[in-house]
Amino acid sequence: MKYGMQRYWFGDVMDGACTRAEGDARTLADRVSSLSTRREGFVPLHWEQARECGAVPDRAGYLAMLREVTSLLAERKIQAWSARGDAVLIQKVRMLEDLDRAANLVAERFQEWDRALHPGPRDQLREAAPRQALEEARGRAAGAQASVISSVDGLALARAALVQEVSTGAGEILPNCTALVGGLVAARLLSAAGSLDALARLPAASLQVLGARAALFAHLRTGSPPPKHGILYQHHRVHNAPRGRRGNVARTLAARLAIAARLDRYRGVRDEDFLQHADDAVRRAGRGT
Amino acid sequence: MIWIGGVLVSPGDRSLYGERMLQGHRVWDSRRSKFAALAHLGCEVDLLPALRVLYLGAAHGTTVSHIADYVESVYAVEIAPRPMQDLLSLARQRGNIVPIMGDATRPEEYAPLLERADLIYQDVASPRQAEIALAHRVFLREGGILLLMVKTRSIDATADPDEVTRGVIADISPSYRLKAAVPLDPYHRDHRALLCEGVK
Repeated sequence: MKYGMQRYWFGDVMDGACTRAEGDARTLADRVSSLSTRREGFVPLHWEQARECGAVPDRAGYLAMLREVTSLLAERKIQAWSARGDAVLIQKVRMLEDLDRAANLVAERFQEWDRALHPGPRDQLREAAPRQALEEARGRAAGAQASVISSVDGLALARAALVQEVSTGAGEILPNCTALVGGLVAARLLSAAGSLDALARLPAASLQVLGARAALFAHLRTGSPPPKHGILYQHHRVHNAPRGRRGNVARTLAARLAIAARLDRYRGVRDEDFLQHADDAVRRAGRGT
Repeated sequence: MIWIGGVLVSPGDRSLYGERMLQGHRVWDSRRSKFAALAHLGCEVDLLPALRVLYLGAAHGTTVSHIADYVESVYAVEIAPRPMQDLLSLARQRGNIVPIMGDATRPEEYAPLLERADLIYQDVASPRQAEIALAHRVFLREGGILLLMVKTRSIDATADPDEVTRGVIADISPSYRLKAAVPLDPYHRDHRALLCEGVK
């Protein structure tokens, strides 16, 4: 059986004869990136072929050279991933969520601490929000309490700066999604999808319930009503819609978002025509006409 | 395989990712590694010193590092950039690990880097696990072993794990003969280990 030329990382093999690919690890990595191998007719290499054509002296040399090439290839791919920008934006979104969680956690504990420190009747019957308790204590807090308050202030500062960066970043990486639902919601959807590639491949039905995982799996397992919306609920068109129309608005919006995500991934610039039509569609869904 | 008082270990002079050391050996935890879980459940795949292993779904390299302690070489394939960075650090410390960043559903992208393996270990969170096993059959030598850790929830989140596993076994049957199917409970929920032999 004849297979024709086989192209490997160290060289080309044809009818048992090997032509070595010259060069260092960088050149060989370039070579591997440029090969387009097909499954049909591919025959895996024997490392001895690399020795026979003089690419490596022995088994140890083979592994050492190969490891250098594959590591370099991996490092390049990681660099490209980092440079795409969506990975960094996703980390910023998640940091934003963590900052909120951290600030709330500290504020809640502060409130309990303050209650123990200053017991007695309160003006309102209802418990104040933890962040409000922090504000009330601001004037009189001393020592560690004062220091905790300024830490929460610090978190709030970081949050404000981060919101700015997330909005800007979303506008650059997700111009169409951002135009549809705003930078923060667009960035949160990206974070939930995991990458721009993944977001662009999601069907509208998945986008619609992204962020409602618990409700979705409860639905699949027990047959409870399916979730109407997840992260999308945060968009004003959805949560301001009358109750009976929210599902429709979320579905329509998700359908346009699925297109917007593909535009963002494969074109990367705003499409005004598309955005105009999408906006009309979402508006109509809200009115039910 | 080395056992010290009922604990599976691998030869290695120091801890790599925070695992305990036991008499100068690295403890191989069955809750962190499906391979170790399988050994604890009585199905031991002997990692002989001469073996060449192709590992699909290497992740951070926890299991890879232990296997590499035993065998000649491990080709470790991983797609995600974050774990890949850990895998690269690991490979810098272990001369017999070949780190490959690639998508196991597209082996043609890294095929020119691979040689035939004696053992293929597959632990990939993909709905297309059977397809991946089939696509890598060409990289298994005659009589070689496939150890397929079926992640049933990645294939179908709601179906019965046994049913999903039966489907996988049927799908790979043209290329692999099943020798044993072991549920990995309680160490890894809804995972099944399939020990298979490559057929012509």
